[in-house]
Amino acid sequence: MARIVVDPITRIEGHLRIEATVENGVITDAYSSGTMVRGFEKILKGRDPRDAWAFTERACGVCTTVHALASVRTVEDALGISVPKNAELIRNLMFCTQYVQDHVVHFYHLHALDWVDVVSALKADPNETSTIAKAISAWPKSSPAYFAAVQQRVKTFVESGQLGIFANGYWGHPAYKLPPAVNLLGVAHYLEALEWQKEIVKIHAIFGGKNPHPNYLVGGVPCSINLEEVNAINSERLNFVGSLIKGAIDMVEQVYLPDLLAVAGFYKDWAAVGGGLKNYLAYGDLPTRGYNQPDSFKFPRGAILDRNLDEIHEVNPRDSEEIKEYISHSWYKYSDGDDAGKHPWDGETEFNYTGPKPPYAHLNVDGKYSWLKTPRWKEHPMEVGPLARILVAYASGNDDVKEVVGEALAKLDVPVTAVFSTLGRTAARGLETRLVVRWMKEFYDDLIANIKAGDTRTFNDEKWDPNTWPATAEGVGMSEAPRGALAHWIRIKDKQIDNYQLVVPSTWNASPRDGMGQRSAYEEALIGTPVANVDQPLEILRTIHSFDPCIACAVH
Amino acid sequence: MQNTTTSSYQRVYVWEFPVRLYHWVNAITVTILIVTGYVIGNPTTITYGNEAYQQYWFGTVRFLHFVSAFIFFFNFLVRIYWGFVGNKFAKWHNFIPLKKDQWREMVEILKVDILQTKMRGRISLGHNALAGLIYFLTFIVFLFQCITGFAMYSSMSSSPLPQLFNWVVPLMGGDFAVRQWHHMFMWFFIVFIIIHVYLVFYHDYVEGRGTTSSMVGGWKFTRKD
Amino acid sequence: MAENLTIWQTMQAKGHSRREFLKFCSFAAALAGIGSAGFPRVLRAFEKEPRPPVIWLHFQECTCCSESFIRSSHPIVADVVFDYLSLDYTETLQAAAGFQAEQCMEDTMKKFAGKYILLVEGSIPLEDDGIYCTIAGKSAVDILRETAKNAAAVIAWGSCASNGCIQGAAPNPTGATPVHDILSQPVINVPGCPPIAEVMTAVVTHILVFGKIPELDSQGRPREFYSRRVHDTCYRRPTYDAGLFVESWDDENARKGYCLYKMGCRGPVTYNACAVTRWNEGTSYPIQSGHGCLGCSENGFWDNGPFYRHLASFPGFGIETTADTIGTVVGVAAAVGVTAHAITTNIRKRKLIAEEIQNSVPESGDVEGGEE
Ligand code: HEM
Ligand code: HEM
Ligand code: NFV
Ligand code: SF4
Ligand code: SF4
Ligand code: F3S
Ligand SMILES: [Mg+2]
Repeated sequence: MARIVVDPITRIEGHLRIEATVENGVITDAYSSGTMVRGFEKILKGRDPRDAWAFTERACGVCTTVHALASVRTVEDALGISVPKNAELIRNLMFCTQYVQDHVVHFYHLHALDWVDVVSALKADPNETSTIAKAISAWPKSSPAYFAAVQQRVKTFVESGQLGIFANGYWGHPAYKLPPAVNLLGVAHYLEALEWQKEIVKIHAIFGGKNPHPNYLVGGVPCSINLEEVNAINSERLNFVGSLIKGAIDMVEQVYLPDLLAVAGFYKDWAAVGGGLKNYLAYGDLPTRGYNQPDSFKFPRGAILDRNLDEIHEVNPRDSEEIKEYISHSWYKYSDGDDAGKHPWDGETEFNYTGPKPPYAHLNVDGKYSWLKTPRWKEHPMEVGPLARILVAYASGNDDVKEVVGEALAKLDVPVTAVFSTLGRTAARGLETRLVVRWMKEFYDDLIANIKAGDTRTFNDEKWDPNTWPATAEGVGMSEAPRGALAHWIRIKDKQIDNYQLVVPSTWNASPRDGMGQRSAYEEALIGTPVANVDQPLEILRTIHSFDPCIACAVH
Repeated sequence: MQNTTTSSYQRVYVWEFPVRLYHWVNAITVTILIVTGYVIGNPTTITYGNEAYQQYWFGTVRFLHFVSAFIFFFNFLVRIYWGFVGNKFAKWHNFIPLKKDQWREMVEILKVDILQTKMRGRISLGHNALAGLIYFLTFIVFLFQCITGFAMYSSMSSSPLPQLFNWVVPLMGGDFAVRQWHHMFMWFFIVFIIIHVYLVFYHDYVEGRGTTSSMVGGWKFTRKD
Repeated sequence: MAENLTIWQTMQAKGHSRREFLKFCSFAAALAGIGSAGFPRVLRAFEKEPRPPVIWLHFQECTCCSESFIRSSHPIVADVVFDYLSLDYTETLQAAAGFQAEQCMEDTMKKFAGKYILLVEGSIPLEDDGIYCTIAGKSAVDILRETAKNAAAVIAWGSCASNGCIQGAAPNPTGATPVHDILSQPVINVPGCPPIAEVMTAVVTHILVFGKIPELDSQGRPREFYSRRVHDTCYRRPTYDAGLFVESWDDENARKGYCLYKMGCRGPVTYNACAVTRWNEGTSYPIQSGHGCLGCSENGFWDNGPFYRHLASFPGFGIETTADTIGTVVGVAAAVGVTAHAITTNIRKRKLIAEEIQNSVPESGDVEGGEE
């Protein structure tokens, strides 16, 4: 039995530490700890609710924009503001942009090195790589000369003796299964994706002024539409967005998805590893007829228990008995005792560090051991994220989702149950990206049509002035962040924030166990994960990375 | 004060020309600075069907602020200089209560101004001690307004004078803070003027020495005895 | 030293001329299939080898600075990471994890003592022994001190590292502290939330290409990018001078792209390159897309709110109260006080004054001026 510590977990956002017990080459228990906190929920108190989006957006620069979206929705929900159609469409476009960029970067720059052995790419025959590339995709950059140049670049790099970000990787680890030619393909697309990802986010810059951290506005979007004006969203700007969407569709359909399926084909054994929890939660998003009409969402809302896809449970974030946060193993204290669960409207954020004094070797996992709180839905631990979204949509009978999932299963020749796994999670991310780029085109076309019909409104000013607000109000703003179900809860009193709580996707997944000993998603998924060499925790990285951790989000 | 009936007055030349000139230049520039400053902080809505190149009113308001600011600043320097070379009424020690007498007078004035008791004893012919002290505070605020103003101005100008003040910005925590303070102290001036002008008339009234006109002609009147 | 000779140095030692070296480089470039476009890159790489090692630390931050960095379009980030420098430690991108990752950091600190560049993203929590941010069991402040000791240059990325940013906003629950307040050596501050991608890569390449630290202002910011206010270079400036302002979101003026001053734009008090360099390869910047500047590169900008108003709230009086509200109250109070005073004066002193008037009536003729 060995107790291994992986800290820092790299190629993620934030500060995550995993401690795991390994017996006979398999993980038997695991502890997930977030080791950095900033105190957003304390800092937000007393601020102007209309400013909250800017604060919460800074929870994370990786999924930048989703907290801003959840925040403006929260305030709009509290004050009863509905946004004009153009604002809804523009927000949707920004949302989709985020998905595409974030998911592609996750796949190539955060996750790929778990599956792709960079050093092995040196042994590849570029001709072979070219043949494979042409067989799986119409992507034009596929000549042998192109791959030879990439290979040479890697070679020069490796021979320089300075391995930079590739230093001390687990190259040659027995769990790497790709042939050299595919590894070379992966490396080439690592570089291409790095260059491409900066393009798609220009959509954020067009509507929100910059990326990371584009601007939002309670009541709509800050950019005005005026086809007669160079200073506003005009036909040039719209064309710009249109061509970026086109580029994104190409990138996703011709590079990301083919690569994903090609790589997955070599790692089918990972369809049996890392399934973890059997409960899934999605708030749903991408409204097409207003945020208050969940039935109009592209991603449906619902919960699945025990992997039973025949029943979708309703989710009500306002019900004080449904979503609660616990701190039994978290470095906080509650005014009425640490065993209580608190609905976010009544949430409390009071630090109470009881861990070892740094520098330390191990956490006291029997006591409190993380800065993440532990959220539960009706006391159940839930997995959130692409897999949960795909499952909820699949179980709701969403045709788009059924189609892409069916295709992928057929291509890989695996049963539906294969999705409950590390591989399934990684695949779900790619599949939803494919849907999202398609929807993006729909939203874009709708936006054009709406403007053409003469509607250029982007803002609803009815409740902008705080003097129009009631003395007290409470709201909840939900979203599906790239990593899963995200919601903010606000209480407004005397025009100021009285309480503000964020319950974030990575909080659901990466949290410590609850008072009843139920593990959250990361910890549960690690159980049963093989570890060939305790000094090279490659397999741990695979399963943890399949969730795409974001700990700055999770702790905030 | 046994014999107030033998009231024959004498004229005293209190405010020399530079002091009077200073006073009115100061009064005018401060008024302009307040008005333009207020507009800079809270511009009114003036949207004609014009394009930006057809009008420049806001730039003009700011220009007036800056021009007045320079005049105000140098005028202020002149007054400081005159505090060392001017007559006894203009001298710096009128403003800083270092003598016991000045404190006694202050108490007396407070009684007269606030409790509205009958004025007893003689008060200074120039500034009374309390007025002197308030003016001293006012000078400090003048200085503060100049420092913060020039500090803000330093980023829009490459001329040497404002550059002397650019250290202020980081010290105060950034341009925003400097502006906020600069704006806040505008209100000091507004309140000062209301009270100051009133008190001038009030003291004219209760002292009967021609206080108001003294800042025009320079003369005050005092009983001969 | 010997093991760190660059190819150029080696060739020089063997008596080759620079011409021959250049020829060799183009040959190598052709071999690498990079073609003439990539030639300067190869030249640089061979000449400068070993590539300057870099340690990139993450503390209390949101990784938006790293995200911004990878958005750079000139140079593109792949060139920076693979050709310009050697990114030996960066939790966001490096392959190794856990102790192998820590090993990378130690190796670089040892092998390149005094030569590596330290980039810091995020603030450092000093409260309560640093428990609010630990990595590999060590506190952020210990890691910073250790890595900075032998760094050739320290760059503080973003507002977090250079001014504490959001976690430093009131009440700063973790004691978030910027890098320059902890280290005694000079720190290059590159504020912004996040800083502009091309500004970040430019600051790094400035050091590499010109071999020296860019000129800094009194706050440690490179003058190259932080000496002008957004307002001074804002393309909406003419509408500001003309007094044409957006009065409410999406009003007629907003649709014409008028100045956002009255919507709380912080451009007049913010030093940054946004209006010139712009964001995402020059696509836009906040004001161009209709939202005022938040002042994200200024010290303490989170506490200069609320954002949608020109003046901040008056501390202690709630978000609706500004200096003007207080000023108006005090001003009105003064006016009321003065009026009341005038009235009581008239009542209480009427008699007295009547007496005075009586007394001052001259007994005979005019008072002759009594000069001193
Ligand atoms: C009695 C003296 C003064 C008063 C009452 C006054 C008042 C004001 C006010 C209220 C503002 C607007 C601040 C805001 O809300 O943005 C302002 C702005 C300003 N003032 Fe003054 N000010 C005075 C003296 C000066 C002086 C001596 C200078 C020196 C140059 C100066 C330079 C400025 C500058 C540069 C601005 C910013 C204008 C802009 O950038 O648009 N002020 N002032
Ligand atoms: C109608 C308007 C005003 C009148 C009639 C007036 C009258 C006077 C008089 C009579 C004095 C001499 C007071 C004494 O004997 O102690 C004086 C002094 C003074 N006043 Fe005014 N004043 C006016 C406006 C202002 C304004 C707008 C300011 C600017 C803030 C101002 C600032 C001062 C200062 C600083 C002094 C001290 C002068 C010195 O000794 O340098 N006054 N004023
Ligand atoms: N977890 C998380 Fe986020 C996401 N996606 C947000 O809500 O990454 Ni930074
Ligand atoms: S400066 Fe802003 S953008 Fe950068 S890490 Fe800090 S919060 Fe994020
Ligand atoms: S929009 Fe902002 S930065 Fe631009 S001119 Fe107006 S106030 Fe200045
Ligand atoms: S908010 Fe920041 S991004 Fe630029 S325009 Fe203002 S400094
Ligand atoms: Mg929370």
